[in-house]
Amino acid sequence: MENNSLVEKLALQVESFQEGFEILSKSFSLVEMVKNFLHLIRGNFITTEIYAFHKLKNDSNWNIISLKKISDPSYLSFLHDSTNPSIKYFEDNNIEVSITLPLSDQTFLGILIGPKLDKSKFTDLDKITLQILLQVFDSAYKSFLNQKKEKTLIFELNEKILHLNNLIDTGIEISRYNKRRILYDVSLERVCSLTNASSALIEIIKVSQNNLKKYITFPAGIEPDKILNNKFSIKSSFEQQDRIYNFILSEKETRHNTTSFTELDQLLLDSIARQVAASLENEYLHKQAIEKEKIEQELTVASSIQKRILPESLPKIEGYEIAGINIPSKEVGGDYYDCFNLGNGKYALIIADVAGKGIGAALLVSTLNAALNSYLQFDIPLTEMSDRLNKLIYKSSPSDKYITFFIAVLDSISGELDIVNAGHNPILVLRKDGTLEKLDAGGVGLGMFDFGIPFAGQKSVMNSGDRLFLYTDGIPEAMNEKEEEYSDEKMIKYFIEHSDQSSDVFIKSMVNDVKNFVGITPQSDDITALILKRN
Amino acid sequence: MSTDFNLISELHDKTLVIKTEGYINSGGGEKIVKEFEKHADVNKLILNLENSKVVNSIGISHLIEVIEKLNQTDGKLVFTNLDPTIEKTFSIMGLFQFAEKADTVESALNG
Repeated sequence: MENNSLVEKLALQVESFQEGFEILSKSFSLVEMVKNFLHLIRGNFITTEIYAFHKLKNDSNWNIISLKKISDPSYLSFLHDSTNPSIKYFEDNNIEVSITLPLSDQTFLGILIGPKLDKSKFTDLDKITLQILLQVFDSAYKSFLNQKKEKTLIFELNEKILHLNNLIDTGIEISRYNKRRILYDVSLERVCSLTNASSALIEIIKVSQNNLKKYITFPAGIEPDKILNNKFSIKSSFEQQDRIYNFILSEKETRHNTTSFTELDQLLLDSIARQVAASLENEYLHKQAIEKEKIEQELTVASSIQKRILPESLPKIEGYEIAGINIPSKEVGGDYYDCFNLGNGKYALIIADVAGKGIGAALLVSTLNAALNSYLQFDIPLTEMSDRLNKLIYKSSPSDKYITFFIAVLDSISGELDIVNAGHNPILVLRKDGTLEKLDAGGVGLGMFDFGIPFAGQKSVMNSGDRLFLYTDGIPEAMNEKEEEYSDEKMIKYFIEHSDQSSDVFIKSMVNDVKNFVGITPQSDDITALILKRN
Repeated sequence: MSTDFNLISELHDKTLVIKTEGYINSGGGEKIVKEFEKHADVNKLILNLENSKVVNSIGISHLIEVIEKLNQTDGKLVFTNLDPTIEKTFSIMGLFQFAEKADTVESALNG
């Protein structure tokens, strides 16, 4: 061969090697790379019988990777094992070259090359060319592996960023949902996506209902037992408001199989479960706040009703001193008192207490007040009026609501008292000589029953120096921090010991005594009292 | 592995439209790759993910495989009807460097 021709051929070969490297480097997989390599060999040596094989270890079996089906199985006998790059040339055979090339990932490539189409033998130049092509393949494969490693690293890095981003997004999104089902679904979707779990489940156990269990799964159609009975699972739990929540992930996926969950997966699951717990807690607190606000609004209404009904001032009664007081509790009870001027020197003194608190009690007091204003215009006997009131309150109130009620009509001139006590605390009369009487004749509370049983009346007389003391149970039942009651005894003792005080002074000092006894304990019921003293 | 995944496909000349439904995990991703490989002449794949709201990393690795195969033949993959969460996921994972997105299948077919 002339020098110029050799140089030209070598230059072409170099160019071919470069192109070969580029083609091989762009290959997507080993199989594709090998197939491209076989094309290169075929082009360089003009041969059609060319086969490639691959094995994972030196002692493994060869697997064929070829452009075409092997034409004679006996060719396989030409393959040889070697842990170093090895090329064997054969004379007068259907296979002329056998190559074993250890690859950089510790696997092996085997190549068999048949005769050239022109039947010429492999020259020294061919052998050098083949040697160089094998080096090109080896370099391209290293480059391919590096690229693959680089891609894996980038993928893993992006995956970590995705984890972080998903966690932040999930926290924000979960806190936004007010429907629990959406909250559960989103948390399962996100945790599966984050951990590559094949499926997931939330088991909700209602402790108060005999451990009744409810399941939410992802994917939605999967049977809970498939997840619960899976050995390859992780779990995170929390308890809240009588419920136990178990979050379970099942089967961590890989490209071709499943693998064990990692510590990071457990952390991610715990984190999502905590976010759900926080969201449920917020929902609970929000509901409580709304409920509290509703109660406060109701109490405001009840309080305004009560204030409107209670007297701003009491009438002046010639020859008597009268004073009254009402201190509503925070919860607003249904206490009521008043004194109506009936004309002709007659006055009706009333005290009442509705069973219950809040707006319901206030409305019932309002009904009683309206009825009294109406009935007291007529000269109806108190027992009959009490019967009418009973019927009215019975119809106007639910079964658990009734009113304890006391009414005394005073003839201020004669001092005569006409009395009915409908289930109220005994009303006290302290005579000038220190004798104490209790006025308790009447019947049951208004609205309790409607059996037609008549109310009984009672008569008494207020003489000079006598005192009539009307009160509600807010006084004797006032409780201190030791849960001790002020008591009837203490109240009566105070009433007797301070009988010389004017009505105004007495009623204020009595309330102060109750307050001193109660101390810092919040007032649980209305305190109401009315006192009448005949001069 | 549990699968909750279905797909349907349509061929428009050399464009394959695959509409998925369910979790794009290992099983789902594998089904997409297999469906794509059934059509050797395809140079454009439109993946309508309207009914897929969840994807995991293994599912994404299958999608990357499809993208790489298409890119080798100067073909392209277009995602359509993406849920915002999936769109963000693909964005973070770098899929839109090698694949496109469109609002609808119609706009992807015309694009």
